[in-house]
Amino acid sequence: MTRLLDLGIDHIRDIIMDMTKLSEYSVVIAIGSYQESTSVKKQIFEWSEKLRVLQDEVADLAIELIARYQPVATDLRFIRSCMEISYGFSRFGRYAYDIVEAIETMGSISDCDKSAVLEMAKTVRDMIFLSVNALKSRDKDVAKKLYELDDTVDALYRTYIRVTIITQNEKPRDLRCYISASLILRYLERISDHACYIGDSVNYIVTGNSSPRR
Amino acid sequence: MINGGLTDNILEKILKINEYPALKQPCKASIKNLNAWFGTKLVLKNVNLDIIPNSVTAIIGPSGCGKTTLIRCLNRMHEMTPGAAAKGQVIVDDVDIYDKRVDPVSIKRRIGMVFQKPNPFPTMSIYDNVSAGLKLNGVKDKRLISEIVKESLEGSALWDEVKDELDKPGMGLSGGQQQRLCIARALAMQPEVLLMDEPTSALDPIASSKIEELVHQLKKDLTIVTVTHNMLQAARVSDYTAFMYLGELIEYGPTNQIFKTPQKELTERYISGKFG
Repeated sequence: MTRLLDLGIDHIRDIIMDMTKLSEYSVVIAIGSYQESTSVKKQIFEWSEKLRVLQDEVADLAIELIARYQPVATDLRFIRSCMEISYGFSRFGRYAYDIVEAIETMGSISDCDKSAVLEMAKTVRDMIFLSVNALKSRDKDVAKKLYELDDTVDALYRTYIRVTIITQNEKPRDLRCYISASLILRYLERISDHACYIGDSVNYIVTGNSSPRR
Repeated sequence: MINGGLTDNILEKILKINEYPALKQPCKASIKNLNAWFGTKLVLKNVNLDIIPNSVTAIIGPSGCGKTTLIRCLNRMHEMTPGAAAKGQVIVDDVDIYDKRVDPVSIKRRIGMVFQKPNPFPTMSIYDNVSAGLKLNGVKDKRLISEIVKESLEGSALWDEVKDELDKPGMGLSGGQQQRLCIARALAMQPEVLLMDEPTSALDPIASSKIEELVHQLKKDLTIVTVTHNMLQAARVSDYTAFMYLGELIEYGPTNQIFKTPQKELTERYISGKFG
């Protein structure tokens, strides 16, 4: 017999799955717009707003389920984690919007060297994919892999900033290229962090062990 | 992460603070290899359990799993049922209460019990209900008895409600008050351990919450073992939870751990309402 709690948990799971798709598309299309210099700000804004609304829905439903059914054990851990995971996906949307806004603010950046951003974007995209799949398959071991990739992302970010500063005099850059790349790298780095947190949440759902934030 | 986190040293300290209290603490009671029968039917199967002093231990599990039998073995009430028997050790403060030299009556004085349905002595006043055990045990000093009655009623959070009507019948109280009267009656014997067998199952939510608050207060002076069908009550009031199934102790640990991260799948399924 289906427990009444299960109906609510299924509903939360459905909302989270909608968020995975929307957040993944948002980041991928935002990066695509940097690569192709296309304008997608309106679309990404709508998705980002939608993700925020869905995050609120998850939080409301989670509180309602806790109040009405007093879940315990895996159910409780799942519901608690869904609040954190939905926040993570909502942040993906927000950073995707920040990326397209940075692109629009800078004006034409079609002549910029985009290799650093695109390299990091590839890793971050893999991380989003991994975190979403970890959630779907409840794979607790993905967190470790995500942190390894996060180290790569952090290193790329630091390297870009350092190299740019060190070589600024001998190799002057277009300020628009530098600022847009720095901002987007920073947003991608934050997305990478949230992908790790999602991996942590999956680990918590499965094992009950919280990972201390690095 | 780009932003540095806590140092390992600080993290280690925080982790230590958050550690669950180990079950290696000194025990008030230690149950070892306890088996119990009704006739030829084995109803408790080799139960081993340590009861931590000044804590509340909740025993949960589906009907017929042996919860009540287990607590009735803790003060040798089980053997009072015709055909019932128990074998094993229940060591309370280094004394095995099943040792042949131990007087079962003295055990019942040290280990009090409160039952599912409030059962005040029907013909007695509130005062006499509380003092009955003392008188039966030969206490004659009226002043001492009065002091103990007052202390016991205060201890069961009933004094303020009945102090002006101590001579009225105990049966005239509400269900919740009657149950607290029974707790006062048990407290009058100054027990070290209080066993409670579904103490709120016959009470309304307000009366139940008063008993829960009382249990929380009482553990400062007593060790409490309670049987409950209400898992959320176990989660609210207990420090440790034991899950039983078909006469076996399946899992025992800090309540926080049992309800958040049970180690056994059977426990998880039961507390999540997937069977029972």
